[in-house]
Amino acid sequence: MSNRTLGLMMGAVALLIVAVAVVFVLVLAGGDGDDDGDTPASTTDRSDRDAGDDEGDARDSGGDTSDSGRSSGGICGENRLVTFGDDPATVFDPIQVGDASTAEYTAEIFGGLVSLNLDLEVVPDIAESWEISDDGRVYTFFLRDDVVFHNGRRVTADDVKYSLERAADPANFSPTVLDYLGDIVGVRDKFNGRADDISGVQVIDEYTLRIELDEPVSYFLQQLTYTVAYVVDQDQIEDDPNNWTRRPNGTGPFRVKTFRPLEEIVLIPNDRYHLGPPRVDEIVFSLSGGSLSTRFQNDEIHIAIVPAPELAGVLSGESELAEFYRPSPQLSISYLGMNLNEPPFDDPLVRQAFAHATNRQAVNEVLYFDAFIVADGILPPTLPGYNESISTYPYDPERAAELLAQSRYAGNMPRIVLTFSGTGGDPPDALQAYQQQWRDALGVEVEVEAIEWAAYLRELRRGTLQMYATGWIADYADPENFVGKLFSSDSRINHSNYENARVDALLEEAATLQDPEARYRLYHEAEQIIIDDAPIIPTFWAIRHYLVRECVQNWVDPGTIVPKYRFIEIDTSGE
Amino acid sequence: MSQGLAGYIIRRLLWAIPVIFAVSIILFVVLRLAPIDPIDSLLGVRYDEEIAERLRQKYGYDEPLHVQYLRYFENLFQGDLGVSTRRLDFSVEEVVIPKVRVSAPIGAMALVLAYVLGIPIGIYAAAQRGTYRDPLTIGSWLFVDAIPIFVIAVWAMWFLALKVSLIDLSYEGVFHENIILPVLLMSFPGVAGVARFMRASMVQVIYEDYVRTARAKGLRERTVVISHIARNAFLPMITSIGLSLPAIFTGSLFIELVFGIPGIAREMLEAIFVPDYDVVIGFGLFTFSLFVLANILIDITYGFIDPRVRVEAERGV
Amino acid sequence: MATRTQLSDATALDLPEAPRWRTLRLLLSKKIAVVCILVLVVFYGAAILAPWVAPADPNEQEFTVEAARAGPSAEHWFGTDQLGRDLLSRVIYAARTTVLFTVAVVITGGLFLGLGLGLLAGYRGGWVDNAIMRLGEILSGVPVFFLMLIIRAAYRERTNDLAFWLKENTFLGADAPPLVAFVIITGVAVPFVWVGLARIVRSQVLAIREQEFVLAAEAMGISTPRLLIRHILPGVMPIYLVGLSASMAGFAFVELGLSWLGLGVDPSTPSFGSMINAAGGVRTFEAFPHLLLVSSIPIIVFFFAWNLLGDALVDIVEPRTYRR
Repeated sequence: MSNRTLGLMMGAVALLIVAVAVVFVLVLAGGDGDDDGDTPASTTDRSDRDAGDDEGDARDSGGDTSDSGRSSGGICGENRLVTFGDDPATVFDPIQVGDASTAEYTAEIFGGLVSLNLDLEVVPDIAESWEISDDGRVYTFFLRDDVVFHNGRRVTADDVKYSLERAADPANFSPTVLDYLGDIVGVRDKFNGRADDISGVQVIDEYTLRIELDEPVSYFLQQLTYTVAYVVDQDQIEDDPNNWTRRPNGTGPFRVKTFRPLEEIVLIPNDRYHLGPPRVDEIVFSLSGGSLSTRFQNDEIHIAIVPAPELAGVLSGESELAEFYRPSPQLSISYLGMNLNEPPFDDPLVRQAFAHATNRQAVNEVLYFDAFIVADGILPPTLPGYNESISTYPYDPERAAELLAQSRYAGNMPRIVLTFSGTGGDPPDALQAYQQQWRDALGVEVEVEAIEWAAYLRELRRGTLQMYATGWIADYADPENFVGKLFSSDSRINHSNYENARVDALLEEAATLQDPEARYRLYHEAEQIIIDDAPIIPTFWAIRHYLVRECVQNWVDPGTIVPKYRFIEIDTSGE
Repeated sequence: MSQGLAGYIIRRLLWAIPVIFAVSIILFVVLRLAPIDPIDSLLGVRYDEEIAERLRQKYGYDEPLHVQYLRYFENLFQGDLGVSTRRLDFSVEEVVIPKVRVSAPIGAMALVLAYVLGIPIGIYAAAQRGTYRDPLTIGSWLFVDAIPIFVIAVWAMWFLALKVSLIDLSYEGVFHENIILPVLLMSFPGVAGVARFMRASMVQVIYEDYVRTARAKGLRERTVVISHIARNAFLPMITSIGLSLPAIFTGSLFIELVFGIPGIAREMLEAIFVPDYDVVIGFGLFTFSLFVLANILIDITYGFIDPRVRVEAERGV
Repeated sequence: MATRTQLSDATALDLPEAPRWRTLRLLLSKKIAVVCILVLVVFYGAAILAPWVAPADPNEQEFTVEAARAGPSAEHWFGTDQLGRDLLSRVIYAARTTVLFTVAVVITGGLFLGLGLGLLAGYRGGWVDNAIMRLGEILSGVPVFFLMLIIRAAYRERTNDLAFWLKENTFLGADAPPLVAFVIITGVAVPFVWVGLARIVRSQVLAIREQEFVLAAEAMGISTPRLLIRHILPGVMPIYLVGLSASMAGFAFVELGLSWLGLGVDPSTPSFGSMINAAGGVRTFEAFPHLLLVSSIPIIVFFFAWNLLGDALVDIVEPRTYRR
């Protein structure tokens, strides 16, 4: 065979390979419809996205989709909110949600008997009003008669009962039901397979529901605002038990238009929402893309968040972004936990010494450009029931050294490992800074170690971690959610194995009181005792640093997850 | 010829089966023996021993490893790749396919771009052999190749998006102008490689007799370079193109992380950390099978053209 | 390729100047190659002598607002990072990480497995050849980087335990954790890096074996080791070095990429990957450009020097024999 013929043939084959590859890729990219016609939410094809059966009218008002971000009036030219979001860690099934990222969307899609408003107060949602018996054990809810699911079906007391029983059904493995609904009579029996229904939930008539508790629980309504108590549609779940979460039929202000993991979530309004329909035509939560602050600057999104270490770059003198800056305190705290069962932290003096040796202010200034608030207590300042008279151990290296010298472990300090959840590599800068501070003040070398999230959770649960870095975000806005959940001796998430009879007694008493002021007093007393015992070193109360376009109105971040997007309006007048 | 070739193909395919099984066992064992448990990440801080036990039964994690392995393959042959524990009720296909649909077009574009840019650059450099332009061209591409992708990406984004606001950083789908920069950056190492390769092949061909003949016939230099040298130098590129094909489907982890592209590499990174057993194993086997197939395809194309190569191919070159 | 001709006489056994020396001589006649070699010598020298060359302890913090993230100054030539650590010292120690990793990979994967198995496969042929090349084929198909991620991520706890055990129970002491992390990422990388080199070596051995002098040597009954070392190895060396130098940047990138992802060497060991990651994204680059520039330019120069050197070697070692 001549070289020439060979060349021609090989060239042809090479072209063939490239052609096959290209065709393959195009087929793969364009192969929508057939194989996943029942799950339009997971396709990536643009044409499918535009022709989706749930097409809202946003497109018409916004003009051509291909350059929607850059249409005439810029991003403020259309009534469509583009913001960022986190990839949901679970699916949109209220009883499976245990993480903030998924809860954010779930709270907009579903609703429960009661809800939280932007001031974090319990307000009516499906229930119009309720009565609490004198002993605080029986709650009677009177439901609105105009609440409908997204598909138009009316919500009745039976739906609420079904939803609560579904949450407690052992076949559904809800990780949160016992924490939030475990106080209802019969939930534990149902969950453990000893009963078929929840005896404490009774349907009185179509729009009246009675819930009975084992014990009076003063924050029960707060707990009912959590996603696990949301109302779901029995018909939809039974029709399509595997796929219903792609387009859940909830009662919330928004419904799901598209959900593409890691890419975007698009919500469109539920026009029949009983508390007043949303004012935007569409919300796009972008889960993908590059630097948020850069995209904000280029007018690609309405709302961006700036990580603390980037603050200097965004807010420096000449930056044009400073005027859009909106800091929002969060209902969360980060802390360093110490395990009271493990030496040397079984000695309170050692714990106090570490607390005195930790210079949180320096970390805040040097690493975070003063982005956070040094936690001078446990309850965050925006939480109802916050008390500013609480105080933590101040930074005082001399005192720290003194305390350590008096401790049982002076001179024979065992190995100390501080564990955090991470993929390894460099530990967070803050931990390295603390490491240095402890080395300087106490002469103690603390090792910092990363382990996988799953393993970290397991070790926390087993209570084996000697020292750990973690944080807590409020599930509901009550001091109990911090002081009680983290420090009562029977709590599953008391990872420090902290046990104080006085604190337990205070928490128990507070749970039964109805008067907020009286309850708060008890929580404050418990909080100060806990801080003095120092099972943890509170570090920071978080602030989220937002950039918000001026055309976005009524935007607010209340610091925890509440339904908030229906209030937002976009001023398209083009100021 | 066809008899021998068919036999050869069949033998290659038969050989692929135990290999794929071997790889599946390795993947399975490495993942399952790891000291992290998907049930831990599934239940989070609210872990309850009883729920965990029930979930383990549901997913079959309570059974001995070899039973789980056999069941995995039993399901596989029935077309069931398993479910994602990370994205609760999503099946493996549902998790993987949409992501591959993002990564594959991007990878294909970057690959095509690498050849479209690399081949002319290589030809140019070879034609300029002996002048300063050859080392300058190749050298500058070697320099580009030396910059780690997560560094050049930051520089490019800083300048193009922040300083001159020329490009947007939102991900708007695969066929959108915003994808140009990631694809371009992703193709750079390929461009350098192809250009170098093309140049080397060209230089090799330059001394062949037929080129001398063509020159002697007094053909124009341009004609000689393009129709005689370049075409023949193009041949060895088949293997390299073929070998690059499977990589299209695995995506580029760094590009996807830096640009926030919702591709398969990011999904897999997160799946590994959970760990999402079925997704990781399913995707691992998928890419490995692609690789095996690509290798067989390359050998077959060689075999079609030149039976002499077949002997080589059989020996594993 | 050389065509097989009738064996003429035994003088074919007298080799001309050994190819490796010729390669070196030609290499040194190229200016660009000399510059590359010098750059690499400086890089490797600084890395190996890190404890003596570095002006400060790379982990010592000066944790104040003024001292942290400071640009280059007389005191800190490369400036300081966000914790107020001297960046020049960190760069030098990071270079050490890169160098140690590449050297370890070259010795184990490149020399021992790549050259050794390549020679074996090419020389023995038959089932040995088949087995080695099939294994290589399987390995080159495994998505290496993901396997590394799995091992580094999923087995982190076990690794930590092992490091602690070694630290407490052996003479290694505080060196144990970095050493363990280092051995693991090297150990995971090595099974995969030899494949390409072994292929190059093997095809070169096949080519040499067909040459007259080797056939003659074989006919004369020269012992196998002697034949390998005296006749085949010198012929393989130039092309092997080309392959090796072309792969060096790739080897180093494995460590760089893993560290960038936070899955590389032990945290107490500075690495370019983690430094580049810490230097942050677009905004941080805008505000503190020296962080990224200082931690990326040295490694870019390192990669570039190896790339150029590899290219220069290709030009010298006959381009006709250069495959892939």
